Amino acid sequence: MRVTQSLEQTQFLTAIGSLESGINQTQNQMSSGLSFTTASQNPTAAGSVNNYQQALAQSQQYGTNATSAQTNLNTEDNALSQVQSQLQALRDLALEANSGILTNSNLSAIATQAVQIQNSLLSLANTTNGNGEYIFGGFDAQTQPFTLSATGATYNGDQGQRQVQIAAGQTVADGDNGDTVFNQIKTGNGTFTVAPAAGNTGSGVVGATTVSNPAAYDGGTYAISFAAGGAYTVKEGATVVATGTYTDGGTIAFNGVQVTLSGQPATGDSFTLAPSTNQSLFTTVQNLVNALQTGISSPGSSAALSNSINSSINNIDQALNQTSDVRATIGGRLNSITTQQSVATSQQTQLQQSITNLQGLDYASAITTLDQQNTTLSAALQAFTMTQGLTLFKFL
Amino acid sequence: MADVFGISISALQAFQQAINVTSNNIANASTPGYDVESANLTEAIPQSNGAATVGAGVVVTGISRAYSQAAANQLNTSQSSLGQLNALQNYSSQIDNLFGTTIGGLSTSLQNFYSAFSNVANNPTSTASRQALLSQAQAVASSFQSASGELNSLNTDVNSRITADVQQINSIATAISTLNQQIVVGTAQDGNQPPNELMDQRDQLVSNLSQLVGVTTTTDPDGALNVFVGNGQPLVLQGQTTQLTTVANQFNASQLEISTSTANGNVISGSITSGDLGGLLAARSQVINPALGQLGQIATGLSQTVNAQQADGLDLNGNLGANIFSVGTPLAIASSKNTDAVTAGVSVNANGLGALTADSYILSFQGGTPSLTDTTTGVSVTPTGAGTTASPYVANGVSIVLSGAPAASDQFLIQPTATAASSMSVVMTNPSQIAAAGAVKTTAAGTNTGAATISPGTVLNSANPNLLAPVSIAFTSPTTYTINGGAPTAYTSGGNINFDGWQVQISGAPAAGDSFTVTSNAGGTGDNRNALAAANQQNVGVLNNGTTSVTAGVSALITGLGSQAQQINTAQTAQAAVNAQALSSVQSVSGVNMDEEAANLLQWQQAYQAAAQALTVGNSLFTTLIDSVNGTFT
Repeated sequence: MRVTQSLEQTQFLTAIGSLESGINQTQNQMSSGLSFTTASQNPTAAGSVNNYQQALAQSQQYGTNATSAQTNLNTEDNALSQVQSQLQALRDLALEANSGILTNSNLSAIATQAVQIQNSLLSLANTTNGNGEYIFGGFDAQTQPFTLSATGATYNGDQGQRQVQIAAGQTVADGDNGDTVFNQIKTGNGTFTVAPAAGNTGSGVVGATTVSNPAAYDGGTYAISFAAGGAYTVKEGATVVATGTYTDGGTIAFNGVQVTLSGQPATGDSFTLAPSTNQSLFTTVQNLVNALQTGISSPGSSAALSNSINSSINNIDQALNQTSDVRATIGGRLNSITTQQSVATSQQTQLQQSITNLQGLDYASAITTLDQQNTTLSAALQAFTMTQGLTLFKFL
Repeated sequence: MADVFGISISALQAFQQAINVTSNNIANASTPGYDVESANLTEAIPQSNGAATVGAGVVVTGISRAYSQAAANQLNTSQSSLGQLNALQNYSSQIDNLFGTTIGGLSTSLQNFYSAFSNVANNPTSTASRQALLSQAQAVASSFQSASGELNSLNTDVNSRITADVQQINSIATAISTLNQQIVVGTAQDGNQPPNELMDQRDQLVSNLSQLVGVTTTTDPDGALNVFVGNGQPLVLQGQTTQLTTVANQFNASQLEISTSTANGNVISGSITSGDLGGLLAARSQVINPALGQLGQIATGLSQTVNAQQADGLDLNGNLGANIFSVGTPLAIASSKNTDAVTAGVSVNANGLGALTADSYILSFQGGTPSLTDTTTGVSVTPTGAGTTASPYVANGVSIVLSGAPAASDQFLIQPTATAASSMSVVMTNPSQIAAAGAVKTTAAGTNTGAATISPGTVLNSANPNLLAPVSIAFTSPTTYTINGGAPTAYTSGGNINFDGWQVQISGAPAAGDSFTVTSNAGGTGDNRNALAAANQQNVGVLNNGTTSVTAGVSALITGLGSQAQQINTAQTAQAAVNAQALSSVQSVSGVNMDEEAANLLQWQQAYQAAAQALTVGNSLFTTLIDSVNGTFT
């Protein structure tokens, strides 16, 4: 077969060209640290890397979301812990007022302190976060949620609760609305309340109330009315449920509930046992303030004050419970955020690893490849110059 | 004596010519298309001289070129394939390089966009995070625009190269036909001795032509060469040429097609599958346009899902969300060959995203039945409907409305996604218009004594005019509720309650007298339900029958374009090897080998010297004779 010089040269140039482009590619790999820089060099891996990068960025975004939720939850938790200490202080004031040895001016001074606590509670309920959002406003984050009213406070927010995405398919609430935290607090012992009638003249004061048998309590409203000698009748509407005789400090029990009274109710005095309703914390405080400011003017009114204070203490306890419950769920949410953050961290490490595995350059093998390519190129160049010298014309 | 002189002179002349041929070979060793030549030496026929006839020397009867038609044809075919793949590779690798592994930042900007939605969900009242979202939306739209802009500029480049190729093909065809005439005359003049130089030139022109477009050739007995392109359309017939022209595509005036100037503008693009021209056409139909369609499909998917989610929520002003994106309108183009003036309009169906493809379709009416043929897969479907506004043709996720009754021969090109990406833009300018909040909110009455709770509420149909009207759900008993005081309905805990375009669930045990309200969420500026849903769309499959999310679509596009470029690279490398082989077999027949020429030169030099020596011997013989005669006569 005839091999011509021009073909040799053409083929040599093609071969050199492809060797040099190979070296160029290896150099690009080494300078970028990537095993491929265009999709055609490894189409499947390029698609996967893209997917992994999306997943990685998403995971990092979840991290940002979690931090944001964490900040808001910490703000809320901090506000609620202050609410708790304020409530505790208020409870102490109520106990002090209930000691029975205070004058009206003492009570009035206590009332002034209670009003201050009410203001603190109001400002806590109107706490804002770093973005100026009212954290207890529900979805209505830009309207001050609580404003004082004659009976407590008006809630201007809504019942919305914002969720934040902390992982694929997992959201966590980054707050609680003020309605849930401050308004929906059960009165009394959480199941029922016992309140004296307004015209009671005796010294009967409601003490501990319990549900001894939840199955037997039907959620009804009962009137406990007293006759002479401590005789009492419990009626549900017109129906007599129980009758008996009360002695000071005794317990009246019927239909699964127990009511302990102290003092001596007068004939005609009555107490109403009704199912608990939701009452705003601010109403509770206002009621206490009102009772303290009313003070004492007769034995009957002393009992009324005691009953009011007792009822307020019950309601404050309910509010403390409510606050503790909310703080417990905040703790739960913060826990799940922390758990998710550590899962996300290992997930991100894994994704980074996968991306490096697919696209990262194995420098050892790249250097070896470059070395081989250099050797081949220099050998090819040498071979060409050697063969090009070989022509018969040189020997003529 | 005279014979010695005659023979020697003939030899000197013949070897002189042979040396000339050899030096011509050496001179043309690097000339493209040159075929190595050799002098044909033949014994001269002597005068008959009785029994012992001595030859009359040597004559050169011709100069022949070493040429193999078979090898040349093989090289031409291989060059056509290589030309096609080179053109194809040029475009596929440009796309590969332009888009890299991230499609010009599209992937990153999409990710940033969804992250920005998440940040709005974290801080729905923050104008900064809303503004950042709009900026990211702008970046997404720009990415789509620039990616499709690159593709469109490649299409423009294809057009200009088609025009240049056609001009070059025409000028080569003219040169071949001129050479044909000269060769026919020259061959006849030289007694069927073809003029080698002209033949070389013509063969080289055919070789050049085959790089531009695949050709077949036939040779007439008189030496003329006929050249055909495509499915046998004549380009050169003896001394005549048929000029190719470029004409606008019947649907898309911006895409050039190849036509023969005769046969009333017959478009032959479909039959041109090889050479640079074939590669350009293939790059347009197989690489550039499909990529545009796919980008458009992703852009349409993104735009529709984001806008639909927007519509389900309320913005900071308490209005239902406005569109964030707008994409290029789907195209329905009537063929320039249609005989009537019927126009078509096409739109992507609101729920048609899953069925929407990246392909283009031809709508035709043969036999009176509408038929939608996918130009990529060739699959035809019969759309439902009548093509009217009331009942549009519906198929593959699009609706088509015709302005009138089409003729049976009418054709329309339907491109649902081709321009979606290139015209993508952000239409929202005011960040407060981002609908981060859910449209409705629910409230349990504070006086409720039961333990039932109500879900926040989701929007099923944002087009319902009463969506935001306040609605009260009141329990008349623990097992029955009424909506706005309507007919009592049996209560199931956790069951869906659908009304006025929204859906809520009430679960738990309600008490008689309990009530819940569903109202507009206007003022719910801290709500992020809608932004949360929008951010989560990142993982929701919407394209390709709900199997592919928008971001996964981008990954698939990267893999698809990369695979295509890889496949074309591989084919091009293989074809380059085939071509080198074909070139070497042509060279082995027709090439000039210097060693061989050096040996020939020596051979002819020695032969020439020997013939000259024979002349000297003849001369010396003659001198001897003269001298002896002189001696006798002096």
